Amino acid sequence: MQLFSNGLIAGSLAALIAGGLALVYGTLGVFNLALGQMVLAGGYATWWLHQNVGLSLPISIVGGIAIGAAISWMTFEIFIRPFYKRHRFLPLVTTISLSMILDALILLLFEERPRSILASMKDMRIILGASISTEQIMLILITCLLLAFFAFILHCTAFGRKLRAVVQNDFAAMSLGIPVGTLHRLIFIGSGVLAACAGIFIGIDQNLSPLLAFPLTIKAYAAVIAGGKGNFWGAVTCAYIIAFLEQLVVGIRWFGLFYIPAGYQDTVALVFIILFLLFKPAGLFGSQTRTA
Amino acid sequence: MTAEPLLSVSHLSLRIQDHTILKDISLEVQAGEVVGLIGPNGSGKTTLFNVLSGFLKPTKGTVCLCGEDITHLSAPLRARKGIGRVFQDFGIFRDMTLLENILVAFESLTTDERRKIGDLRSATQETLAMVQLQHFAKKKAGSLSGGQMRLLEIARTFKGNKSLLLLDEPTAGVSPKMTHQIADLIRSLRREGRTVLIIEHDLPFIAKICDRIIVLDVGEVALEGSPSEVQSSKKLKEIYFGADPTT
Repeated sequence: MQLFSNGLIAGSLAALIAGGLALVYGTLGVFNLALGQMVLAGGYATWWLHQNVGLSLPISIVGGIAIGAAISWMTFEIFIRPFYKRHRFLPLVTTISLSMILDALILLLFEERPRSILASMKDMRIILGASISTEQIMLILITCLLLAFFAFILHCTAFGRKLRAVVQNDFAAMSLGIPVGTLHRLIFIGSGVLAACAGIFIGIDQNLSPLLAFPLTIKAYAAVIAGGKGNFWGAVTCAYIIAFLEQLVVGIRWFGLFYIPAGYQDTVALVFIILFLLFKPAGLFGSQTRTA
Repeated sequence: MTAEPLLSVSHLSLRIQDHTILKDISLEVQAGEVVGLIGPNGSGKTTLFNVLSGFLKPTKGTVCLCGEDITHLSAPLRARKGIGRVFQDFGIFRDMTLLENILVAFESLTTDERRKIGDLRSATQETLAMVQLQHFAKKKAGSLSGGQMRLLEIARTFKGNKSLLLLDEPTAGVSPKMTHQIADLIRSLRREGRTVLIIEHDLPFIAKICDRIIVLDVGEVALEGSPSEVQSSKKLKEIYFGADPTT
């Protein structure tokens, strides 16, 4: 039960990051390798507003999300938009540069020490035999609410239908009069907001550390690729699957003989991508449609 | 006095790197005309469509719609001005239902046009019924056959304000029965007074439904006339099969 609860918490975090990334990959077809740093930027901004400036937690969270959205918007305008139409791999290079710049900035501003948005001890509860904090329950519930909100926007509104149209065929969407450029920008900022939310959850539930950025990016890409490149629900589902597998791999006593060291936990995502690319290259929810 | 053409293309050229794709093309299409655009592979037909619909910017020349210069407008803005496009490689949203494919087209119209249409959902159902796809309304578009995809795309494109339709090989890879259905749909467009520009390789098909045919060869307008004039032209044979050495 504890493994399940840990998987649910880690999966909720990963689902937020991977969901936003799937929309970006689906619409723009580009890799944003500074995603992990954008997650941390939202978390650190909230920590700074709450712990240093002394704002209340809700206002700090709103501030952290706003700073995350602003960084995401600047990233799009400076590091993505001038390049992505020339060649889809150019943003790969520009966002690697951005990730290095953000890494250096985070180290300079917040140092390598672990930072926690909440300084007080967490209120732990036992639910069905699993130990879980109030903040973790909130994380799971808020992720469910955010995903339900996204589901509503994507499937029940005109804006969501236009968004899905752009994801599936941007030339056809343009020929219908859909302002594809504006939607690209909004999607990128939306993914930054989801990433900032994830960073805030990390800062509340655990400790923020500059070293977290790279594993977060890799796990998000594993979920996006395994989910069916650009499929929002595929990425969300695979984020949960990877999180549960990570907990299982290091949490059970294999054949009653040995445990796999916790250091191998992060490799689960990489093995997951390789297996998916080998046996189901289109991904879990990759389209199986007729070509004619 | 002749009426102002719906579409007027003047001295249009396009160079990409060292290659000249379109050379000094000038043509006019009157409102309500169905015009065929034919030519060998690589003659620049689809590139011309890409320039007309705003996906490519010309190196030289102008494109005017109803007398308004639209050369520098983006593709979405041209669509809002009334240019609709059917793509050679299926411009449908495969993971969306047929209903959503049509609905999103209605929802992308201007506020005034949406107000004129009224209830978008019932208009969507009517559009699907018109191409006899109403029974598949809740199916994903990617599960349709090639011909059905074409019908869906054409039906979606000409709804709303679209005064000029650019159809890029609408019968490619489509069964004879579906080809008839597409021809009927184009005839009904003409009856509604829509203007259609069609790229096709099927000369008998295009001769049956078009008022006029324009032949492109290596990026230039090589021939223009009524279907019978073009079909009997010696130049057309030369363009497709090369000059006859015995003449």
